[in-house]
Amino acid sequence: MYGWIWRHLPGNAWVKALISLVLILAVVYVLFQYVFPWAEPLLPFNDVTVDNQ
Amino acid sequence: MRLVVRTVSELCITVGTVIVLFVVYVLFWTGVQADSVMGDQIDRLQEQWAQGGVRPTGTADPGASVAPPKPPPYENGKPFAIMYIPRLGFTWNKPVLEGTDTGTLKKGLGHYSGTAQLGQQGNFSVAGHRRTYGDPFKDFPRLRPGDAVVLTDGTTWFTYRIDKGPYKTVPTDVEVIDPLPRKSGYTRAGRYLTLTTCEPEWGHSHRLIVWAHLDSTQPVEAGKPAALRR
Repeated sequence: MYGWIWRHLPGNAWVKALISLVLILAVVYVLFQYVFPWAEPLLPFNDVTVDNQ
Repeated sequence: MRLVVRTVSELCITVGTVIVLFVVYVLFWTGVQADSVMGDQIDRLQEQWAQGGVRPTGTADPGASVAPPKPPPYENGKPFAIMYIPRLGFTWNKPVLEGTDTGTLKKGLGHYSGTAQLGQQGNFSVAGHRRTYGDPFKDFPRLRPGDAVVLTDGTTWFTYRIDKGPYKTVPTDVEVIDPLPRKSGYTRAGRYLTLTTCEPEWGHSHRLIVWAHLDSTQPVEAGKPAALRR
């Protein structure tokens, strides 16, 4: 999977490394900004009220 | 065959990394965000109060009555007070917002809409996170009878004294935020305060409760109440 992505990135090894880094950062950003805030309320730490009012 | 094995192992590593990142998010990042959001809320309140835009001070003469003028209804999701609990730390202060929605509780403590307003006859009830989102009520079990819970709405300081708790109950026990909570030991109507959070620390099977009564009030012009002076 990662080998396939690496082979399909343009440029020489340095450019590929740079693009990979940007891609990784983008994925982490999307996770922290959108995916985790959505998933976190599914965990029980939010239940602090009585009868979920 | 080798390709399949490699892809599966890469996927496993990816999932593992995402899980680790999620733990970092829950344990650390929500706290960072909450600290900044709660700070913003407090700044906003203090700005509002500095402009005097909230409400007139009323005609109540200083310290004479325990009954401040009745405030207008709180706006859902908006901060209206700051809470101080010296037992949880001398610098511990959190904004109190109207409502107990998930989104509201990320920004501060939540006032159960439908319960009494601050300082009024009835039961002013507030919920807060035990863990995550800045861990506001992390040290909840350390609260003891006699501890002060101080709130201000910009015009008045309200000092509540804890009478009972921490009391462990189940999530369906809505009675604890009744105007006269049955298990609190109070026998007649009064100006009470209830704090609720989750128990155990990382779970949701129970709730921890403390009850307090309004001990004294003083206008903000009179300076900080004794409970907040070092």
